[in-house]
Amino acid sequence: MASRLEIGLRPQLPDPAGAGLRARARAYLRLPVEEARVLRVLTFDTALDENQLDFVRQEVFTNPVTELSSFAPLAGQIMPAFDWALWVGLKPGVRDNEGATAIEGMADALGREFGPDEAVYASRLHLLRAPRLTRAGAEALCAELLANPIIQRWRVIGAAEWDSQNGVGLIIPRVELGRRPVVERIEARSDAELMELSDRRGLFLNPADLPAIRAYFDDPRVRAERAAVGLAGPTDVELEYISQARSDHCNHNTFTGRYAYRDLATGQSVEVDNLFKSCIKTPTEQLAAQKAWVVSVLWDNAGVARLDEQYNYAVTGETHNSPSNMEAYGGAITGIVGVYRDPLGTGLGSKLAAGMWGFCVGPRDYDGDLRPLLHPRRLLDGLIDGVRDGGNKSGIPTALGTLIFDERYLGKCLVFVGAVGVMPREVAGRPSHLKAAGDGDLVIMCGGRVGADGIHGVTASSAGFSDNTPAGHVQIGDPYTQKKMHDFLLEARDEGLINFITDNGGGGLSSSIGESARSSRGAEVDLAKAPLKYQGLDPWQIWVSESQERMTVAVAPDNLPRFMSLSAKHGVESTVLGRYAATGKLKLTYGSEVCCYVDVDFLESGFPQWRFEAQWTPPALRGLVEPVLAAPIEADKLILELLASPNLCSRQWINRQFDHEVQGSSVIKPFVGPAQDVPSEAAVLLPRLDGRAGLAMAQVFLTEYGDIDTYDMVAAEIDEGLRRVTAVGGDPAQTGGMDNFCWPSIQYDPKNNPDGRYKAAQLVRACWALRDCCLTAGIPLLSGKDSMYVDGTIADRRGLRRRVSGPPTMMFTATAPVHDLAWCQTLEPKVAGDIVYVLGRTKDELGGGALYNHLGQVGLQAPKSDLAATKALCLAVHQGLKEGLLAAVCLPSRGGLALAWARMALAGGLGLELDLDALDAPDDLGLLGRLFSESTGRLVVCVDPAKAAAFEALLADFSARAVGRVTKGKSLVITSGGQAVASLAIGKMRRQFTRRFGALV
Amino acid sequence: MSVRALVLSGYGVNCDWETAHVLALAGAQVRRAHISDLTGAPGLAPCQTLDDQHIVVFAGGFAWGDDHGAGVLLANRLRNHLGEQMRRFLARGGLVLGICNGFQALVNFGLLPMLDGRWRRDAALAANDCGNFQDRWVELIFDPASPCVFTRGLERLEVPIRHGEGKFICGPETMAAIQAQGLAVTRYGDGQGRPAGGKWPANPNGAMDDIAGICDPSGRVFGLMPHPEAHYRLSQHPTWTAIRERARRQGRELDPMAEGPGMAIFHNAVAAAKASL
Repeated sequence: MASRLEIGLRPQLPDPAGAGLRARARAYLRLPVEEARVLRVLTFDTALDENQLDFVRQEVFTNPVTELSSFAPLAGQIMPAFDWALWVGLKPGVRDNEGATAIEGMADALGREFGPDEAVYASRLHLLRAPRLTRAGAEALCAELLANPIIQRWRVIGAAEWDSQNGVGLIIPRVELGRRPVVERIEARSDAELMELSDRRGLFLNPADLPAIRAYFDDPRVRAERAAVGLAGPTDVELEYISQARSDHCNHNTFTGRYAYRDLATGQSVEVDNLFKSCIKTPTEQLAAQKAWVVSVLWDNAGVARLDEQYNYAVTGETHNSPSNMEAYGGAITGIVGVYRDPLGTGLGSKLAAGMWGFCVGPRDYDGDLRPLLHPRRLLDGLIDGVRDGGNKSGIPTALGTLIFDERYLGKCLVFVGAVGVMPREVAGRPSHLKAAGDGDLVIMCGGRVGADGIHGVTASSAGFSDNTPAGHVQIGDPYTQKKMHDFLLEARDEGLINFITDNGGGGLSSSIGESARSSRGAEVDLAKAPLKYQGLDPWQIWVSESQERMTVAVAPDNLPRFMSLSAKHGVESTVLGRYAATGKLKLTYGSEVCCYVDVDFLESGFPQWRFEAQWTPPALRGLVEPVLAAPIEADKLILELLASPNLCSRQWINRQFDHEVQGSSVIKPFVGPAQDVPSEAAVLLPRLDGRAGLAMAQVFLTEYGDIDTYDMVAAEIDEGLRRVTAVGGDPAQTGGMDNFCWPSIQYDPKNNPDGRYKAAQLVRACWALRDCCLTAGIPLLSGKDSMYVDGTIADRRGLRRRVSGPPTMMFTATAPVHDLAWCQTLEPKVAGDIVYVLGRTKDELGGGALYNHLGQVGLQAPKSDLAATKALCLAVHQGLKEGLLAAVCLPSRGGLALAWARMALAGGLGLELDLDALDAPDDLGLLGRLFSESTGRLVVCVDPAKAAAFEALLADFSARAVGRVTKGKSLVITSGGQAVASLAIGKMRRQFTRRFGALV
Repeated sequence: MSVRALVLSGYGVNCDWETAHVLALAGAQVRRAHISDLTGAPGLAPCQTLDDQHIVVFAGGFAWGDDHGAGVLLANRLRNHLGEQMRRFLARGGLVLGICNGFQALVNFGLLPMLDGRWRRDAALAANDCGNFQDRWVELIFDPASPCVFTRGLERLEVPIRHGEGKFICGPETMAAIQAQGLAVTRYGDGQGRPAGGKWPANPNGAMDDIAGICDPSGRVFGLMPHPEAHYRLSQHPTWTAIRERARRQGRELDPMAEGPGMAIFHNAVAAAKASL
């Protein structure tokens, strides 16, 4: 019997959700809502009788102090004079976390298990008092604020048409596929036929791969072996497997491709074979061989490095751009929850210790011609909510994050998510960073169930965004289910029950079992054993579904009973799907029918390398010049405007929604200073509470330098990453890097991608910088990912469809152990009278900087980085921190020294008096250059005068100029030639710094 | 005989590790106990009990995802399976501490405010007025007249709140009783040691009478929204590097691992348990 329970806050209590709706309706859509109340709706599709229903209504679902509830419409009691009722619920098949926990709560309260046909569906009913709101306005409220048609549906009901007996009625989003699963057998007699099949099934096979695929299935040996198990040509399961594994997302075809690179200025050409191998793998292997602290890199789900004598840390990061661009909340929550499974599936499993985020979106107040699917404001709200719920409910501190606005991200937003885990160096007597599925081990799937959701996720993210992009891969993450699984798997790990573990991320079982079967040299799996969310899935769908919150684990048969008992204790579903067997074959059945029988390593060889043309035009030849600017007499206005600019102003409202202190590990938080509103240079955590070793983490985006030269961009990012972790106490000699590339399409096409060759050259140059700088600075790349196709085709207000390519973007993440928390430092001046030093030389390098960006200019001279010099300086500063010589360390980045000093004054609440003439800079460097140049390799530090001699002795071989003092006054005063060029009260700066987003909570 | 403390874990509880760590620092013999080990689970019998414990801590987190009201499903699970044990535990003079999600669970369990010894849902922790989850540091001020054994000697404390549903609400009769019996142990302060007066962000959620935590009339059951375990060491404080620098200028070197003022609550708990051993 179906019934609908409505629950609402008592009318005399304020309704924060309703107030939020009202405020957003006004601010975002200019729609007049006078009052709003939000009711929770639970629709029961169960066999419960009326008494049982009323029992759970009272005992489980209604708070007697704050709420009213009823199986009849509540509107009459909550808001009798409403004008509109807007119902919003999930579409069939979308993960309903609230519905699932409702079943758990009822099962316990009633002492009764619920059958597979019983379910509870959660939805919301919004009651509005809005006499001036039209039906079109009410529809817009649903479509543009409350719901996303990709995952939700809604009903708009006016007061006049309201059925006071039945309310919104009974809406049951049960999935009924009503079909029998089948295995399709395919004979593709030509490449053309195979390509047609690929298009029809949305496989996104690369035309160059087709001959290799056909050659494998036509090989007489293969045909004979397959005939013995009843197979001839490929099945749909096998082709989907190939499609997943060969996608750019999983296989990194772009990075492993071959590039014909030509410098159009010099005419010189060079063949670049495999960027991944030459610029990432080889340098990292070389460095790893020299550095004992690099534990495990380049093969597992996350890189592993040493934290201290007993513990290692695992770090990884990825992007979730395509799904987030369509459904921001779902994309971001599956992104953050998904990346947490990588450290959990690294080695024998690591305990999650930190999360990181980075959002690149269009301007929040965008009011231009383009009509992206989601306005950047709405998109950003969804991203924040997604990372908030995903991180907070996982119990993992969201330690740091970055937000960048740029119109070029209107085509596709970027959503970076990163994760850090910690693991004892040994668990149950084995090195924790190694894993292998053994012959005879059981293949076990843990966590969530398999549904049709997430199918073709990786292939869709390997394509640009257009109207035809399948939306089916957008999901809602379930941190609760995953948190239980995390706790369970770590307990199983510590008991020595796990031989191999990996996550079911992109590609689902096809990726996790395909990968683990390579370590065991084969596996036999029955797809019919996989627990499903609903019946009727084809075997190929079970094989490639990306339904979230699942891990694949190899367990020895003897350990199965204990493993399953722990699984039950933690409320986690675990299922044996098959067995690892050293047969050399991956054999999949559906019941008794064989649906896949291939050599385990057939995906590893025989496929052709992708080829790209890359053409580089140096910046001056592209017409870039330095803008002609005469310095102003005073710079107050420029500094204030930059402080208020979207990319430099306070983002406190975001970080405050993310729990960055759970686990008790917080040391350096996302904000510093007495008002806790100035972003810190890097985060530091204490991942082991019983140790003294911290972990410093920093993220860097310097995308605008790439408008001049992506080589300079990447070099500057690595330089800054190293300085950031050093600034907070991290060891520069044990700094690891992580590269996350997000690039527009680089395959040249005269019509669709006319500048593809230039973008390809930008990628090559970025990778060269990565190689050169990492080798010079001794920074191994512990982890990295690439996401291509950051392009969107979106309509403008005239209906004209335009391609909007994102700027080449690489987020660089640096991590370093802080061997003793006593070495930590923060950026704010702490004691008046301290001497302010600038370390490093300031050069004429305003190109791509925040000042030019603010003035709508690009410029020509982007900062050039000298990683050897920066590394040496960082080692010296690190020594200074160990000796307690430094009272503050700040890093001039966007906006140069002017913004660094402004942030210091804001954070410390103390004044600064600084002399630009004292800088180490070329004599002819003008006021703007001295204030705003973004030269890398620099730090600003404060030193107790009593320690100045020791400090200067330590820095004797470096450029270290005393440029001023910390003062008791409440102003930032900058002079040159005896004249004040800036004089700014801290209060005034704070108002500018916080005004743009200060009203957001 | 040492003081035994048990910290609940599992089903989305997530502050269990650090809470156990802090209790151990305070001298307790601590065990993290999975909720299923106490209540049993489908197919599994309970294998742990409250009967041999002196302190039970409901740690922070998102039990059952906080769907259907923060702490509600956890409270139901415990009420359905542990009611008798909990009665025995309280009758023996056991101490119960609920932090954040744990406080929400205690209120829904009926253990707070437990006026006249009745287990009822007399109070609630509703959605923050600001509409969002917030992680921010607040000042707590304490009622010296409160019977609470956990807060003896405390006047002011800086700790973070990290919640989306922390607005303390109750009916007028309950509020009158809470105030009359001094059960409003701790309130949000304005930074100067006075009550925040409902002003955001000093009062971060809109709680009635700025109430951040309450105890039962015996003073042995205590729940609070802020996280004292998040200030168990100096280097958790947002401005600890500045505090350290000012000490340096006076010739004192502070250890970042030095005990933070949040430890007082755990020391008090262990001392109170020890006193009644």
